[in-house]
Amino acid sequence: MLNYFSTSNIFNFIDILMKFLNSIFFVVLIIGLSFALVLSPPDYLQGENVRIMYIHVPAAWISLAAFSSIAFLSIINFVFKIKHTLLISKSIGPIGFLFTCLAIVSGALWGQPTWGTWWAWDARLTSMLVLSFFYLAFIFSFKIIKNDNLAIKVSSYISILGAINIPIIKYSVDWWTTLHQPASIKLSGTTSIHSSMLTPLLLMLLVLLMYSALIFLMKYKTEIIKMKKKNLKKL
Amino acid sequence: MMDYLISLQSLGSFVLISFAITFLACFTMHYKTKKKLKKYEKEFMKEFQKLTAIEKKEILDNSRIVRKIFSSYKQTI
Repeated sequence: MLNYFSTSNIFNFIDILMKFLNSIFFVVLIIGLSFALVLSPPDYLQGENVRIMYIHVPAAWISLAAFSSIAFLSIINFVFKIKHTLLISKSIGPIGFLFTCLAIVSGALWGQPTWGTWWAWDARLTSMLVLSFFYLAFIFSFKIIKNDNLAIKVSSYISILGAINIPIIKYSVDWWTTLHQPASIKLSGTTSIHSSMLTPLLLMLLVLLMYSALIFLMKYKTEIIKMKKKNLKKL
Repeated sequence: MMDYLISLQSLGSFVLISFAITFLACFTMHYKTKKKLKKYEKEFMKEFQKLTAIEKKEILDNSRIVRKIFSSYKQTI
């Protein structure tokens, strides 16, 4: 059973998955964009600006999910010392950082026409900014610290510490009075978004998830090659 | 459809800017990641070429990953 998770099997699986994602990505992208920019209706209050939601919300979801995965993998690595978990979290880091920045920038572009300001030191916005700093610290811990073991320790501490920020981001709109609106989509409870807007939102989420998977697989493959290059003589 | 997209410009330049920034950032990251992958494949093959013929044969026989990198590198050159 464990043999299925050997590096060579994973490497083989990465290639197959990359080919599959590459083959369907543009079709899903065109469908997603058609719904987001053309087929979905404008909002009765915000007008066309509501379309920013189709970038902003999936980007924010992916950034939160990416950091939660990094924190979870760091704990697993801390306890079980599985080297692959580190390679995976190292590959997820830049993707999460990209989407955190995109969520902040698209949020500012959405905030200007709707709130009349690009930025406010509001709980949700500030906690997202803090998340981007945690991502930066996590990414740079591998670049700055040359000692591998120390870099692993420091990056694990950063990700576990940063995980405290995740529930703060999620519940900031409920705990404090913020400029940012509360969640419209809930896993438990009623979703207050019409299906004509929910469909493009989920389609764009799928597009960005597929893109993230592609980048992750390329980064993970690079990490495996780096590792194999180090141990070439031992092979 | 083009007319519709152009009309969107007057209705929501913020929309087009946010989509444009997203696609530019995503494209840049994809390009840089792919370039880095190819660079490491190339560096790996350089190291591999330095080995003796016997070592090369032994590694190619034993490691599926090296065989994969070798074939994907051969496709790109």
